[in-house]
Amino acid sequence: MDNKKILIVDDDPDIRLGMNVRLKANHYDPFFAGDAASALIEAEKQQPDLVLLDLGLPGDDGFVVMERFKQIPLIADIPIIVVSARDARAAQARAIEAGAKAFLRKPFDDVELLALIRATTGEPALSEKASLHN
Amino acid sequence: MEANPLQILVVEDNQGDVRLLREMLSCERPGEFELTHVSRLDEAEAHLAKGGVDIILLDMGLPDGRGMDTVRRTHAAASGVPIIVLTGLDDEAIATEAMTQGAQDYMIKGQIESRALPRALRHAIERFRMREESDRMRSRQMQLKDEFFSHVSHELRSPLTVIRQFATILADRLAGDLNPEQGQYLEVILRNVKQLQSMVDDLFEVTGIGAGKLRIDLERASVSEAVAYTANSLQGAAKAKGITLSSDVRGELPAVYADPMRLRQALVILVDNAIKFTPANGTVKIHARVLDEDADRLVLEVSDSGCGISPEMCERIFERLFQAQDPSAAGRKGLGLGLYICKELVTRQGGQIRVQSACGQGAVFSVTLPVFSLSNLLAPAFGKKGHIQSPFTLVVTEISSAGCWRSDEARAEQRRTFGQLLQGCLYSDSDVLLPKMGITGPEELFFIAATTDQIGGEAICKRIRENLREPIQQARLSLSTSYRVLATINRATSEPVKEFREKMTAEIQARMNQENSLRMVTSG
Repeated sequence: MDNKKILIVDDDPDIRLGMNVRLKANHYDPFFAGDAASALIEAEKQQPDLVLLDLGLPGDDGFVVMERFKQIPLIADIPIIVVSARDARAAQARAIEAGAKAFLRKPFDDVELLALIRATTGEPALSEKASLHN
Repeated sequence: MEANPLQILVVEDNQGDVRLLREMLSCERPGEFELTHVSRLDEAEAHLAKGGVDIILLDMGLPDGRGMDTVRRTHAAASGVPIIVLTGLDDEAIATEAMTQGAQDYMIKGQIESRALPRALRHAIERFRMREESDRMRSRQMQLKDEFFSHVSHELRSPLTVIRQFATILADRLAGDLNPEQGQYLEVILRNVKQLQSMVDDLFEVTGIGAGKLRIDLERASVSEAVAYTANSLQGAAKAKGITLSSDVRGELPAVYADPMRLRQALVILVDNAIKFTPANGTVKIHARVLDEDADRLVLEVSDSGCGISPEMCERIFERLFQAQDPSAAGRKGLGLGLYICKELVTRQGGQIRVQSACGQGAVFSVTLPVFSLSNLLAPAFGKKGHIQSPFTLVVTEISSAGCWRSDEARAEQRRTFGQLLQGCLYSDSDVLLPKMGITGPEELFFIAATTDQIGGEAICKRIRENLREPIQQARLSLSTSYRVLATINRATSEPVKEFREKMTAEIQARMNQENSLRMVTSG
């Protein structure tokens, strides 16, 4: 079976690199965008199975990205997990209402991130191949 | 220099008193004061709406308003204009209350000195301006401090995320093997990253508390769920220290009147703290029960078999920045904010927290919270004194979701949004005793508003339906409104507030049950 493709939208290159290592080790194919415009271009081009989306982006923010996704039929149904450093209480409800499947606050726990990805892409739980730190 | 005359609005129905005031001011230089006189509160409100008034002299007994109500309404009509209350009685209590309702000063009729009046007016205006200015500066400063800490806390998160990410990548051997020593050092890094992260979290919470921005949304909250959540999330930490963490939640516990997320947060702090101060092979227990002596209150206890807390420490343990030596961190101190945050969380939910301990015999932290009931939900409306005298209209708004709300957070957010919209419908021209919100079940929110205004329940309901139609449709919810004029249950002065409240609650409950069969669903 092909690896699932995951689009990571984050303006911080260090976070993109860290996600890249972690996701590849768990047999996903990550690819990246650093702002709203390239997120849409990359998503349309590569049709990911899932998007991990930061809220604070240069220019249009993550909420705008979610709005745009909904307007483009080709990518409207791709599930989105918001990964943000913002106050969970304020941002979480707004993200969920905007259509995100889940909200993960930075700094996050890798175990939680992978579990959320599995749950969102409909994979069976605990198909973990790489060993995980608790 | 030619200044504009000070515009004085006199709201007084006694012509004699008005004449007296005019005479007193007539001794002043012409062009100094200009006096406008109205005899009714509604005229005053209309006049104030036009603006241009510098100060109000307000009689507390008018044909269309009495007592504190006149002060409240006048203040609401022009919150930026100082008010001097005119009273016939030399009653310090009334005067003090008038000041809390927005008046700057009070004068006793018959004791006003002609020469003192102009000075009193000018001073009241000056004091009012100074207070407004200092309020503005204070709130600006608070806002800046709040923004700064919130910014700091947010900005610290990004590098923390990266450090944590890469430390776990290394620790999980994703970048190649490590020798045992390297592995051990990485564990140290990770442990400290987590500690730093929780400090950043605490800092964020404390900033919120300090700025009065700690958001507490009281509703129906399940204690069993909070206990299960806490036990689940901290089981790992307990195991790592060789501590047995158990919970004992007996039988069917009633729901409490609390904020579900804040309740969990408080409980996590207590259990986390207990684990921290309990040595290996110890135990930490969570226990919940309804108080034997008071069925309206529920107590949650977190007990540990740790070293215990000395009596002096017990007194100070909830203070901000109080630090106990953390044995696991070998002399390291935290920010000393955890139990302070916990206490703020609990007390702002209307609960109490205390600690009992004998040195060497562990400690028991107990949190007492009110059991959920409609009566609790309504309590704030009656205040301490139960100031409800006139007949009033009760409006009940129910918003239901076809399925369940997607999450607690989403529901809380919806409730806030609708709450604000409802306030907008009610505050504009009526005297609202409360808009009070609650949740009756997993699928419904209800909002209750009681108003002493005469505009009529039908008009209020109509406005609610019109204002909420759009957002309700967007959120694919349904809305029903109903009202009843509760003229028959005025509180007699001799009747205790608690009894009155119970009676009101029963009345509302009956009304809501009745309405279930009479619902007017405006959108589907």
